[in-house]
Amino acid sequence: MEINQQIAIVTGGASGLGADTVRALAAKGAKVAVLDLNFELAKAIAEEVGGLAVQVDVADGDSVESALATVKAELGTARIVMNVAGIGIGRKITNKKGPHPLDSFLKVVNVNLTGTFDVCRLASTEMIALDPLNEDGERGVFVNVASIFGYDGPVGNTAYAASKAGVIGMTLPMARDLAPYGIRVMTICPGVFDTPLAKAETGQEGFDRLIATVPFPKRGGNPQDFAKLACHIVENTMMNGECIRIDGAMRMGLMI
Amino acid sequence: MNVEGQVALITGGASGLGAGAARILSQAGAKCALLDRNLPLATELAEELGGMAVECDVSDGPAVEAAIAQVVEKLGAPRIVLNAAGIDIAVRTASAKGPHPLDEFERVIRVNLTGTFNVARVAAYGMIGLDALDDDGERGVVINIASVVAQDGPVGQAAYAASKAGVQGMTLPMARDLAPYGIRVMTIAPGMFETPLAAGIPQDWIDSIIPTVPFPKRWGNPLEFGALVQQICENTMLNGEMIRIDGAIRMGT
Amino acid sequence: MNLNNISVLITGGASGLGAGAAKLFIDKGAKVTIFDRNLELAQTTATELGCAAVQCDVADETSVLAALAEAGKINGTPRILVNCAGIDITGRTATKGGPQPREALTQQIAVNLTGTFNICRLGADAIRELDDLEGEEQGVIVNVASIAGLDGPFGQTAYAATKAAVIGMTLPMARDLSAYGIRVVTIAPGVFNTPLAASVLRGEPDDYAGGVPFPKRAGKPAEFASIAVEICQNPMLNGEVIRLDGALRG
Repeated sequence: MEINQQIAIVTGGASGLGADTVRALAAKGAKVAVLDLNFELAKAIAEEVGGLAVQVDVADGDSVESALATVKAELGTARIVMNVAGIGIGRKITNKKGPHPLDSFLKVVNVNLTGTFDVCRLASTEMIALDPLNEDGERGVFVNVASIFGYDGPVGNTAYAASKAGVIGMTLPMARDLAPYGIRVMTICPGVFDTPLAKAETGQEGFDRLIATVPFPKRGGNPQDFAKLACHIVENTMMNGECIRIDGAMRMGLMI
Repeated sequence: MNVEGQVALITGGASGLGAGAARILSQAGAKCALLDRNLPLATELAEELGGMAVECDVSDGPAVEAAIAQVVEKLGAPRIVLNAAGIDIAVRTASAKGPHPLDEFERVIRVNLTGTFNVARVAAYGMIGLDALDDDGERGVVINIASVVAQDGPVGQAAYAASKAGVQGMTLPMARDLAPYGIRVMTIAPGMFETPLAAGIPQDWIDSIIPTVPFPKRWGNPLEFGALVQQICENTMLNGEMIRIDGAIRMGT
Repeated sequence: MNLNNISVLITGGASGLGAGAAKLFIDKGAKVTIFDRNLELAQTTATELGCAAVQCDVADETSVLAALAEAGKINGTPRILVNCAGIDITGRTATKGGPQPREALTQQIAVNLTGTFNICRLGADAIRELDDLEGEEQGVIVNVASIAGLDGPFGQTAYAATKAAVIGMTLPMARDLSAYGIRVVTIAPGVFNTPLAASVLRGEPDDYAGGVPFPKRAGKPAEFASIAVEICQNPMLNGEVIRLDGALRG
């Protein structure tokens, strides 16, 4: 699909991977709706690219429905939807302090997994009603964000890994469900990227230790690297139902 | 399949994982045929277990056919085949010293990948001619050995990882090919096991790798590998799958 | 781990895979407690097999805490946790008729994912508090995912998401618990002869086994039980997901 003139939604678009994805889509001529929990930050990015800022809590069903309705009313139905919103938490499943609290597990799963599913099911229903764009019969594309944590499962990340593995696991059945309508579903699994989410989680020292294990390039991923891949997925119609690692060949062993 | 009374053909059976499995299967009542390049070592174990030893290079087509014919004649037709023969080298794809020697790469592929395929194809053909054992129509099981290296890809292991990923990759098509005949194909991917093959690994690497095994933080015992082999033989629903047995190790970068 | 006299907890143990596992663990000398939402069925199964039954909704923290306490009183704190409780709600992500209900995912997350996590975190925490067994091992967790979590079949987005999530938490959980000598392994069954499969398939699971390469039939709970017991007995199996499906790919 050509990005130019399309309407795009980026959840978690106000910062990190999402913000640079918003910029890249806008630079290619898309009209972008920046959906984020942080409305102030979303407004700043939306103003920068001439897009629309909408506040959303992806874990809240009503909030998602109303945010998508706002996008539809203001810009029209989106054919490009990128689910970048996500949160993390570092906690072992049990330790001397006791078991992993259930509420923090649920919070991570609700935002990362249920939130992604919710946006997909509602936005895809709207896409189905659109005319196909081209001879392939393409109507739209979803780019979801999982994580290499969903595969590599580092210590102290049961909740985050479960939520991201869930996103990975629903990529293929969702692609199959939506294929008859010409809607693609792809997932990107970033490694360690230089984002506020990552740094808040690890601290600078932990971040540097992780980076030391990246074979090449030995640096944190740049959000523009991610945005480039996200745009390519939109443009390359043969890409469907697949999860792509973008991580400099990093594999997480047991950190000792 | 009940292991008792079956003939089990084990390549690389003279030592290491193959020997561990031979001990477990013998204990469970199987008659073991140990194919190995090292005949004296294979003979020693075969005598201990009451099985037979055959000298064999698994990558040699006619040699494998001849070896299996000998097993059929002496013990009967094998319904259990364990491909445990394998070699390992550690060379980087390219370094300041030069490119990875091509013949070394080919040697590893020939033994680990072609050798495994070679034994599987000849042995499976033999099984097709046998009567089915039960209502499921089961005739036999082929168990291959890959390695966690196939998935984790440590440095200096391009040839070994390629050969073992090849074994992983052919597990499913082979299982599908042989399913109509009631022959199952499974692969085991061991982590760090105490074997002669592992004895070739540099000590400093071993010292750095065992602490990264989450639990149990030690070498695997070939008998533990053998116990999984027995479970695979006995559990008919296990088919077309690769099982890691590694104490949860993942070789990080 | 030697299973003799070991306290084993099996969720969803009243029927299907869980009941099959209970039978074999009992045969191996373990003291089994089955948890199920359906107490009546659990009691019938328990009487038949000779084990204990406790009512439990795995998705409910209060219920799990109470049930674990009761299981502890009956058979001692469980050192082996087998998480078989699960539900399956099918449906396409979106069709011309509209989106799949949000609850299709949230309900399955509550039982399949959070329910499993809940038993793991509370059960593992209790094992950690026990006096050490002799030898290297203190406990084993066996989770049940599904090949749907790996193969992504049509109309199973929500179910696949929850089962893939169980697969995804296997390794970090194994790593988290390695310091306490507790292993975590997940089984991903294919089509099995269980009430759950029968309800989803609207017919006999065996009738849907045509796509299974070999053996061309639905799996038996006893076969699931066999690999579950092997996992508990083999200390080198850890952090792995094992397909048990007769080479079926969805």
